[in-house]
Order: sequence, then C-alpha cells, then structure tokens
Amino acid sequence: MAEFDSQWMNAWQDEVNNDPALPLIGKYFTTDFLIGFGEKEYCVSVREGRVERINDNLGIETPWSFALRAPRESWDKFTQKMPPPMYNDIFAMAHPLHGSLRIDGDIKVMWQNIRALTWMLDRMREIPDRAVVEERATRV
Amino acid sequence: MSAVREPIVGGYVHVPYEGYEYRVFYEEAGQGIPLVCLHTAGTDSREWRHQLCDPDINKNFRVIAFDMPRHGKSIPPVGFEKEEYRLTAKFYSEFIMAFCEAMELDQPVIMGSSMGGNVCLHLALNFEERVRALIAVEACDYSPGWFISWLAHPHVHGGEACATSVFGLMAPQSPDDYRWETWWYYSQGGPGIFKGDLYFYSVNHDFRELNDKISGNVPIYFMTGVYDFACTPEMTEETAKKVKGSETIIMEGIGHFPMSENPVVYKEYLMPVLEKILAAKREPAKAGAEAGGST
Repeated sequence: MAEFDSQWMNAWQDEVNNDPALPLIGKYFTTDFLIGFGEKEYCVSVREGRVERINDNLGIETPWSFALRAPRESWDKFTQKMPPPMYNDIFAMAHPLHGSLRIDGDIKVMWQNIRALTWMLDRMREIPDRAVVEERATRV
Repeated sequence: MSAVREPIVGGYVHVPYEGYEYRVFYEEAGQGIPLVCLHTAGTDSREWRHQLCDPDINKNFRVIAFDMPRHGKSIPPVGFEKEEYRLTAKFYSEFIMAFCEAMELDQPVIMGSSMGGNVCLHLALNFEERVRALIAVEACDYSPGWFISWLAHPHVHGGEACATSVFGLMAPQSPDDYRWETWWYYSQGGPGIFKGDLYFYSVNHDFRELNDKISGNVPIYFMTGVYDFACTPEMTEETAKKVKGSETIIMEGIGHFPMSENPVVYKEYLMPVLEKILAAKREPAKAGAEAGGST
C-alpha cells in the first residue's frame, strides 16, 4: 500500500506542478482543500492550478474550503495505475451506493474547479516508485 | 487519394406529440431491421457514430440515432425559457414511440444507454406490441443519486462540471481519445438539460415495483460494464432477475458509455445480441417470450 506520507505527498506535488495541462485548466483553481487518507490529513494550498504548499500540521485555525476523506484502502485502489471498478474516480468513491469517500465543506468551490481537481488527483497514479520518492527531500 | 466519407446521412423529421410538433434531428445508416439508438442524459446522437458506421452492423440493420428535444440539433419547444426542464418516463417513452411512428418504422429494435437503457423497461411495459427487441445498456430499475443541483448552477461552469462528473464512469482501459470525445459531448449540453434528464434517471424512473409486470413477450438484453458505478453490474443483475424475457451480459473492461468510450470492446458484446435478434426475425412473432430471465 502507498504510504501517503510526507514524501509521497511531495512526489504528488511534483507531478502536479510539472503537469503541462494544469496551468491551463486550473488557471482559476485557487483554494486550500483538505485531503484525508484514513487518519492522516493534509491541507493542500492550490494557487492557479499549482500546489504551492502542503501542510500536515492541522489545527482549529487551519482554514480549508472542502474536504475529501476516505480510508487508506480506498485511496490505495484509487492511486493504482489501473484502478479497479468503483475506485477510479472520486464520484465513484463518493457515490451513496458505495460510500467510501466523504466530501465535506464548501462543495461549490469543488464543483467550480472539478475539472482541474480531478485532473490533479489523477496525477497520483504517476507517482514514481518508493525508492525514487525517498531520494527527494520532504517539504510538507 | 480520395477523402474518407462516412455512410451516415442526417435529416430532420417533425414529430407530433401532445399537440406540439417537435423538430427532431436524426442520423442513419444501413438497411434492414430498424435499430433506433437512444443517447444518454445531456448529450446527443453523436455517441452512436461508431455503430452507425460499422458495416457489420449496418448491413443488416437500419441504424438510426436521434436527438431528443433540447439535445444536439433538436431544438427545444417554444417557451422553454420559462420552464425548468424535467424529463419524465411518460414523455420519454411516448416520445420515442412518436419518433418511430413519424419515421414509419415497423417493429424497431430499440437500443439505449443509461437513461436510454432505463427507459427500455417502460417501453417493454407499455409498448411491447410495437417493438421487436430491446437492448438496455447500463440499465436497472432504480438509479438514484444523480439529480445534483451543481450540474445547473450559475456559479459553476455547466459544460465542465457535467462532463467531468461523468468522466469517471468510463473505464480507465478505454482509449483516451474516445473518453475525451465523450467528455466533449457532455460539455455541450444546454443549461439544465443534463440535470433535467437526470430527474428521469434518478427520481422519476423508479421501476422497482413494476419489473414483474413486464410480460416477457419482447426480448430484453441488459448489457452493463463493470466500471459503471451509477448502474453497477449487481444493480442490473438484480433488476434482470425480475424481468421476464431478459438476458444479462456483463461487459469487462468498460464503463457507462460502451458505444462511445470503447466501440471495439462494445462490439464484441453487441454482435452476438444482434445475431440473436436477426435469427429471431425468421421465427414467428413473440420469439423471445421463452427466454425467461436467464443471466
């Protein structure tokens, strides 16, 4: 299973920020959103389609607009190169009939940026193997 | 080198329904048994372009795909600007039959996907004497959860939101170019049209108490892809168990839009169904009645 730790999040940040489409489709995507992998939660600061900062020291004064929370097992399936049925998409995981992902907060912001957000999350499937990730410095 | 030309020909037919004459666009190709194709919610007949052009299909079938009013090139009725559009089972099923009547189609096969699949149940219940067979793709008796306000909201880009909300319904194995082409169709629906169709799909279409009222006189082929999280294979199978004269085909490696997301894989599953329908043509009427809910 993927670690979903700081190094993994930084590797995802690199994939997002090196993606050539996101500055175009995410030009107006500027918000702070929460993403939760089981108990482990991060606040992701997005500015114009780029992940500017990831914060794992969350407190009552950490503002976020919307939150995506799911069990680690669900995210592990979601992030596979070829995800299995019902885990290939956040709406698949959030659908009332399946229910493993919970969406909270100001979901208008999520819907306003849904194209860039889903594109951003799909980049999780391109994170290199653990050995490569471990070579990189932790920035969270 | 000569240009590639497709066999599809488009046309407009005026369809009278409940005192109003709707101007309806359709595309067709081929000859033989009429095969009327129904697009999914919020889109139009372009979804069926591969099947229209496939010589293995159109050599025996006159393939016809039409745009429902408010979709594609079929204009909305006068006064649409003062209404909130909500598709109902009554309008949808009766309009399909009105289109077939306007086109003078004799005992067509009707093949629809998603909301076009769900409506096949209503056609089986109410119009069994007028159809030859039904191919209900990604269909079940109840598919809640999709009547979502954000799909028609002035603060949200309708094209991007509608299209992106369905992207994950397609299998990751389906080719990127066809998946994004499907996304493109979804990005082009009129404001509120996808949501209005979803009123039928997720609210008005509740067939759970009606499944066993279908006589079984018309064969129904349920075809569902394993990546469809709106209508899962289990939901289709549960429905089909209760529907007489039905057969269920679960399709691997494909999602909610088989005809447009992966026409090659869909064809592998569709051709045996079409061959059964062709074979039944030589039998006396009600050839499918003995099929009996097998899976």
